[in-house]
Amino acid sequence: MSTSTLDLTRLQDELRYQGILMSFSGPFSHSIIEELGKAIRHHLESTQVAGSALMDVFAVYIEQAQNVRNYISRLESGPEQTRLAGSGIVVIAQDEQRYVISSGNLLDRTDAPALVAHLERLRSLDKAGLKALYKEQMRQPLNPQGGAGLGLICMARKGAAPLEYALGDVDERYVFFSLRVVI
Amino acid sequence: MDSLVIEKSRSSPAIRLDASARSLSISGESYPENAAAFYAPVFAWLKTFLADLEPTTMVQVDLAVRYLNSSSTKVMLNFLDLLEQAAQDGAQVIVNWRYDPDNESILECGQDFSEELTALTFNLVEQSQEPP
Repeated sequence: MSTSTLDLTRLQDELRYQGILMSFSGPFSHSIIEELGKAIRHHLESTQVAGSALMDVFAVYIEQAQNVRNYISRLESGPEQTRLAGSGIVVIAQDEQRYVISSGNLLDRTDAPALVAHLERLRSLDKAGLKALYKEQMRQPLNPQGGAGLGLICMARKGAAPLEYALGDVDERYVFFSLRVVI
Repeated sequence: MDSLVIEKSRSSPAIRLDASARSLSISGESYPENAAAFYAPVFAWLKTFLADLEPTTMVQVDLAVRYLNSSSTKVMLNFLDLLEQAAQDGAQVIVNWRYDPDNESILECGQDFSEELTALTFNLVEQSQEPP
Protein backbone atom coordinates (compact mmCIF):
# COMPACT_ATOMS: atom_id res chain seq x y z
CA MET A 1 0.00 0.00 0.00
CA SER A 2 1.44 3.40 -0.91
CA THR A 3 1.70 6.10 1.75
CA SER A 4 -0.65 8.41 -0.17
CA THR A 5 -3.62 6.07 0.33
CA LEU A 6 -2.93 6.00 4.06
CA ASP A 7 -2.65 9.74 4.48
CA LEU A 8 -6.10 10.90 5.52
CA THR A 9 -5.23 14.53 6.16
CA ARG A 10 -6.69 15.71 2.85
CA LEU A 11 -9.94 13.93 3.53
CA GLN A 12 -9.92 15.30 7.07
CA ASP A 13 -9.28 18.85 5.82
CA GLU A 14 -12.19 18.52 3.42
CA LEU A 15 -14.52 17.23 6.16
CA ARG A 16 -13.50 20.14 8.41
CA TYR A 17 -13.88 22.67 5.60
CA GLN A 18 -17.42 21.42 4.92
CA GLY A 19 -18.27 21.34 8.65
CA ILE A 20 -19.15 17.66 8.39
CA LEU A 21 -19.88 16.11 11.79
CA MET A 22 -20.89 12.72 10.49
CA SER A 23 -21.51 10.98 7.22
CA PHE A 24 -22.37 7.52 6.01
CA SER A 25 -22.08 6.37 2.42
CA GLY A 26 -22.99 2.86 1.39
CA PRO A 27 -25.67 0.26 2.05
CA PHE A 28 -27.95 1.32 4.91
CA SER A 29 -29.32 -1.26 7.29
CA HIS A 30 -31.77 -0.51 10.09
CA SER A 31 -29.06 -1.14 12.70
CA ILE A 32 -26.67 1.30 10.97
CA ILE A 33 -29.43 3.94 11.00
CA GLU A 34 -29.93 3.31 14.74
CA GLU A 35 -26.21 3.43 15.56
CA LEU A 36 -25.53 6.63 13.63
CA GLY A 37 -28.59 8.21 15.20
CA LYS A 38 -27.25 7.37 18.65
CA ALA A 39 -23.83 8.76 17.74
CA ILE A 40 -25.16 12.09 16.44
CA ARG A 41 -27.35 12.53 19.52
CA HIS A 42 -24.43 11.89 21.85
CA HIS A 43 -22.35 14.35 19.89
CA LEU A 44 -25.03 17.07 20.00
CA GLU A 45 -25.67 16.47 23.71
CA SER A 46 -21.97 16.96 24.39
CA THR A 47 -22.08 20.34 22.60
CA GLN A 48 -24.99 21.56 24.77
CA VAL A 49 -27.30 22.14 21.82
CA ALA A 50 -30.91 22.91 22.86
CA GLY A 51 -33.11 19.84 23.25
CA SER A 52 -35.56 20.91 20.54
CA ALA A 53 -32.85 21.51 17.94
CA LEU A 54 -31.24 18.20 18.84
CA MET A 55 -34.49 16.31 18.28
CA ASP A 56 -35.12 18.18 15.00
CA VAL A 57 -31.67 17.22 13.65
CA PHE A 58 -32.25 13.64 14.77
CA ALA A 59 -35.76 13.57 13.25
CA VAL A 60 -34.62 14.90 9.87
CA TYR A 61 -31.70 12.45 9.84
CA ILE A 62 -34.06 9.50 10.57
CA GLU A 63 -36.56 10.57 7.87
CA GLN A 64 -33.79 10.97 5.30
CA ALA A 65 -32.02 7.71 6.13
CA GLN A 66 -35.28 5.73 6.19
CA ASN A 67 -36.42 7.36 2.93
CA VAL A 68 -33.15 6.38 1.23
CA ARG A 69 -33.38 2.85 2.60
CA ASN A 70 -37.08 2.41 1.75
CA TYR A 71 -36.66 3.79 -1.76
CA ILE A 72 -33.63 1.65 -2.55
CA SER A 73 -35.20 -1.52 -1.14
CA ARG A 74 -38.26 -0.88 -3.30
CA LEU A 75 -36.08 -0.62 -6.44
CA GLU A 76 -33.64 -3.35 -5.55
CA SER A 77 -33.91 -6.32 -7.85
CA GLY A 78 -31.63 -7.88 -10.39
CA PRO A 79 -28.00 -7.18 -11.18
CA GLU A 80 -28.02 -3.50 -10.20
CA GLN A 81 -28.78 -4.27 -6.55
CA THR A 82 -25.25 -3.64 -5.25
CA ARG A 83 -24.89 -0.40 -7.17
CA LEU A 84 -28.23 0.92 -5.96
CA ALA A 85 -27.71 -0.11 -2.35
CA GLY A 86 -24.26 1.46 -2.37
CA SER A 87 -25.57 4.79 -3.69
CA GLY A 88 -27.12 5.96 -0.43
CA ILE A 89 -25.48 8.74 1.56
CA VAL A 90 -26.44 10.85 4.57
CA VAL A 91 -24.37 13.80 5.81
CA ILE A 92 -24.83 15.91 8.94
CA ALA A 93 -22.90 19.18 8.94
CA GLN A 94 -22.70 22.29 11.05
CA ASP A 95 -22.74 25.72 9.42
CA GLU A 96 -22.17 28.30 12.16
CA GLN A 97 -25.37 28.18 14.26
CA ARG A 98 -27.24 25.99 11.78
CA TYR A 99 -27.28 22.24 11.21
CA VAL A 100 -27.51 20.94 7.66
CA ILE A 101 -28.75 17.39 7.05
CA SER A 102 -28.36 16.08 3.50
CA SER A 103 -29.03 12.79 1.79
CA GLY A 104 -28.59 11.33 -1.66
CA ASN A 105 -29.34 8.21 -3.67
CA LEU A 106 -29.80 6.97 -7.20
CA LEU A 107 -33.29 7.71 -8.45
CA ASP A 108 -35.06 5.98 -11.33
CA ARG A 109 -35.68 8.66 -13.98
CA THR A 110 -39.33 7.61 -14.21
CA ASP A 111 -39.77 8.56 -10.53
CA ALA A 112 -38.21 12.01 -10.94
CA PRO A 113 -41.18 14.07 -12.27
CA ALA A 114 -43.53 13.13 -9.42
CA LEU A 115 -40.82 13.74 -6.81
CA VAL A 116 -39.93 17.13 -8.30
CA ALA A 117 -43.61 18.14 -8.42
CA HIS A 118 -44.02 17.13 -4.76
CA LEU A 119 -40.89 19.03 -3.67
CA GLU A 120 -41.88 22.14 -5.62
CA ARG A 121 -45.29 22.06 -3.98
CA LEU A 122 -43.67 21.81 -0.53
CA ARG A 123 -41.28 24.66 -1.39
CA SER A 124 -44.23 26.90 -2.32
CA LEU A 125 -46.10 26.39 0.97
CA ASP A 126 -45.71 28.38 4.18
CA LYS A 127 -45.78 26.73 7.63
CA ALA A 128 -49.59 26.83 7.83
CA GLY A 129 -49.90 25.30 4.35
CA LEU A 130 -47.40 22.58 5.26
CA LYS A 131 -49.32 21.77 8.43
CA ALA A 132 -52.58 21.46 6.46
CA LEU A 133 -50.92 19.15 3.91
CA TYR A 134 -49.33 17.12 6.71
CA LYS A 135 -52.72 16.56 8.33
CA GLU A 136 -54.26 15.54 5.02
CA GLN A 137 -51.43 13.07 4.34
CA MET A 138 -51.58 11.74 7.91
CA ARG A 139 -55.03 10.37 7.02
CA GLN A 140 -53.79 8.41 3.99
CA PRO A 141 -53.18 4.68 4.57
CA LEU A 142 -49.68 3.41 5.30
CA ASN A 143 -48.12 1.59 2.37
CA PRO A 144 -46.97 -2.01 2.91
CA GLN A 145 -43.26 -1.11 2.68
CA GLY A 146 -43.76 0.99 5.79
CA GLY A 147 -43.46 4.38 4.09
CA ALA A 148 -45.95 7.03 5.06
CA GLY A 149 -45.47 9.66 2.34
CA LEU A 150 -45.10 12.05 5.25
CA GLY A 151 -41.32 12.20 5.51
CA LEU A 152 -40.67 15.10 3.14
CA ILE A 153 -43.56 17.14 4.57
CA CYS A 154 -42.25 16.49 8.06
CA MET A 155 -38.75 17.68 7.00
CA ALA A 156 -40.23 20.76 5.32
CA ARG A 157 -42.11 21.65 8.52
CA LYS A 158 -38.95 21.39 10.61
CA GLY A 159 -36.70 23.22 8.15
CA ALA A 160 -35.57 26.80 8.77
CA ALA A 161 -35.66 27.34 4.98
CA PRO A 162 -37.45 25.60 2.07
CA LEU A 163 -36.15 22.14 1.13
CA GLU A 164 -33.32 22.26 -1.42
CA TYR A 165 -32.75 19.49 -3.91
CA ALA A 166 -30.74 18.66 -7.01
CA LEU A 167 -30.89 15.99 -9.70
CA GLY A 168 -27.57 15.02 -11.27
CA ASP A 169 -27.23 13.14 -14.55
CA VAL A 170 -25.93 9.58 -14.13
CA ASP A 171 -26.98 7.39 -17.05
CA GLU A 172 -30.00 6.47 -19.16
CA ARG A 173 -31.83 4.87 -16.29
CA TYR A 174 -30.83 6.88 -13.23
CA VAL A 175 -30.30 10.36 -11.90
CA PHE A 176 -28.68 11.14 -8.55
CA PHE A 177 -31.09 12.81 -6.13
CA SER A 178 -29.67 15.10 -3.43
CA LEU A 179 -31.77 16.69 -0.68
CA ARG A 180 -30.69 19.35 1.83
CA VAL A 181 -32.51 20.46 4.99
CA VAL A 182 -31.35 23.32 7.22
CA ILE A 183 -32.30 23.32 10.92
CA MET B 1 -58.32 -10.96 28.04
CA ASP B 2 -54.52 -11.14 28.33
CA SER B 3 -52.36 -8.07 28.64
CA LEU B 4 -50.04 -7.20 25.79
CA VAL B 5 -46.53 -6.26 26.88
CA ILE B 6 -43.75 -5.34 24.44
CA GLU B 7 -40.37 -4.33 25.84
CA LYS B 8 -38.72 -1.25 24.41
CA SER B 9 -35.81 -1.33 22.00
CA ARG B 10 -33.73 1.56 20.71
CA SER B 11 -36.17 2.24 17.86
CA SER B 12 -39.43 0.98 19.33
CA PRO B 13 -41.35 1.97 22.47
CA ALA B 14 -42.36 0.05 25.58
CA ILE B 15 -46.01 -0.98 25.29
CA ARG B 16 -48.26 -2.07 28.17
CA LEU B 17 -51.88 -2.78 27.33
CA ASP B 18 -53.73 -4.02 30.41
CA ALA B 19 -57.33 -5.08 29.77
CA SER B 20 -58.34 -5.67 33.41
CA ALA B 21 -57.06 -2.24 34.56
CA ARG B 22 -58.30 -0.68 31.29
CA SER B 23 -54.98 1.05 31.14
CA LEU B 24 -52.95 1.47 27.94
CA SER B 25 -49.46 2.93 27.88
CA ILE B 26 -46.84 3.58 25.21
CA SER B 27 -43.51 5.17 26.12
CA GLY B 28 -40.17 5.72 24.46
CA GLU B 29 -39.14 6.31 20.87
CA SER B 30 -40.68 4.93 17.72
CA TYR B 31 -38.87 4.63 14.40
CA PRO B 32 -38.99 0.89 13.71
CA GLU B 33 -37.89 -0.55 10.39
CA ASN B 34 -41.52 -1.21 9.46
CA ALA B 35 -44.08 0.59 11.61
CA ALA B 36 -47.08 -1.24 10.14
CA ALA B 37 -45.57 -4.63 11.00
CA PHE B 38 -44.38 -3.55 14.45
CA TYR B 39 -47.77 -2.19 15.53
CA ALA B 40 -49.91 -4.96 13.98
CA PRO B 41 -50.24 -6.88 17.32
CA VAL B 42 -51.16 -3.63 19.10
CA PHE B 43 -54.04 -3.02 16.69
CA ALA B 44 -55.21 -6.63 16.92
CA TRP B 45 -55.27 -6.33 20.75
CA LEU B 46 -56.97 -2.92 20.76
CA LYS B 47 -59.75 -3.97 18.38
CA THR B 48 -60.60 -7.00 20.55
CA PHE B 49 -60.41 -4.91 23.73
CA LEU B 50 -62.72 -2.21 22.37
CA ALA B 51 -65.19 -4.72 20.94
CA ASP B 52 -65.65 -6.21 24.44
CA LEU B 53 -65.85 -2.85 26.21
CA GLU B 54 -69.01 -2.04 28.21
CA PRO B 55 -70.44 1.42 27.44
CA THR B 56 -69.47 4.24 29.86
CA THR B 57 -66.34 2.34 30.94
CA MET B 58 -63.32 4.48 31.67
CA VAL B 59 -60.13 3.83 29.69
CA GLN B 60 -56.88 5.50 30.72
CA VAL B 61 -54.27 6.01 28.00
CA ASP B 62 -50.79 7.18 28.85
CA LEU B 63 -48.55 8.25 25.97
CA ALA B 64 -45.03 9.35 26.92
CA VAL B 65 -43.16 9.27 23.63
CA ARG B 66 -39.98 11.19 22.97
CA TYR B 67 -39.90 10.72 19.23
CA LEU B 68 -42.22 9.38 16.50
CA ASN B 69 -41.00 9.06 12.93
CA SER B 70 -43.48 9.89 10.18
CA SER B 71 -44.86 6.37 9.72
CA SER B 72 -45.22 5.92 13.51
CA THR B 73 -47.12 9.23 13.59
CA LYS B 74 -49.61 7.83 11.12
CA VAL B 75 -49.92 4.63 13.14
CA MET B 76 -50.44 6.63 16.35
CA LEU B 77 -53.25 8.59 14.70
CA ASN B 78 -54.93 5.31 13.69
CA PHE B 79 -54.55 4.09 17.28
CA LEU B 80 -56.15 7.30 18.62
CA ASP B 81 -58.91 7.13 15.98
CA LEU B 82 -59.99 3.73 17.33
CA LEU B 83 -60.15 5.21 20.84
CA GLU B 84 -62.04 8.21 19.48
CA GLN B 85 -64.61 5.85 18.00
CA ALA B 86 -64.95 4.11 21.39
CA ALA B 87 -65.47 7.50 23.03
CA GLN B 88 -68.17 8.35 20.48
CA ASP B 89 -69.81 5.03 21.38
CA GLY B 90 -69.96 6.04 25.04
CA ALA B 91 -66.68 4.99 26.66
CA GLN B 92 -64.92 7.55 28.82
CA VAL B 93 -61.49 7.73 27.21
CA ILE B 94 -58.79 9.87 28.80
CA VAL B 95 -55.52 10.29 26.93
CA ASN B 96 -52.54 11.89 28.68
CA TRP B 97 -49.91 13.02 26.19
CA ARG B 98 -46.78 13.47 28.32
CA TYR B 99 -44.13 15.71 26.83
CA ASP B 100 -40.77 16.87 28.05
CA PRO B 101 -40.57 20.70 28.25
CA ASP B 102 -37.24 20.43 26.43
CA ASN B 103 -38.83 18.64 23.45
CA GLU B 104 -40.95 21.08 21.45
CA SER B 105 -41.47 18.68 18.52
CA ILE B 106 -43.31 16.13 20.62
CA LEU B 107 -45.54 18.85 22.13
CA GLU B 108 -46.42 20.00 18.58
CA CYS B 109 -47.10 16.41 17.64
CA GLY B 110 -49.52 16.13 20.59
CA GLN B 111 -51.19 19.38 19.52
CA ASP B 112 -51.57 18.04 15.96
CA PHE B 113 -53.32 14.94 17.35
CA SER B 114 -55.53 16.85 19.77
CA GLU B 115 -56.92 18.91 16.86
CA GLU B 116 -58.04 15.67 15.19
CA LEU B 117 -59.91 14.29 18.21
CA THR B 118 -63.09 15.58 19.80
CA ALA B 119 -64.97 12.86 21.70
CA LEU B 120 -62.11 11.65 23.87
CA THR B 121 -60.37 13.75 26.51
CA PHE B 122 -56.86 14.64 25.34
CA ASN B 123 -54.60 16.24 27.94
CA LEU B 124 -51.19 17.70 27.18
CA VAL B 125 -49.16 17.04 30.32
CA GLU B 126 -45.73 18.56 30.85
CA GLN B 127 -43.42 16.04 32.48
CA SER B 128 -39.65 15.80 32.43
CA GLN B 129 -38.54 12.47 31.06
CA GLU B 130 -35.45 10.41 31.61
CA PRO B 131 -33.32 10.02 28.50
CA PRO B 132 -33.44 6.49 27.06
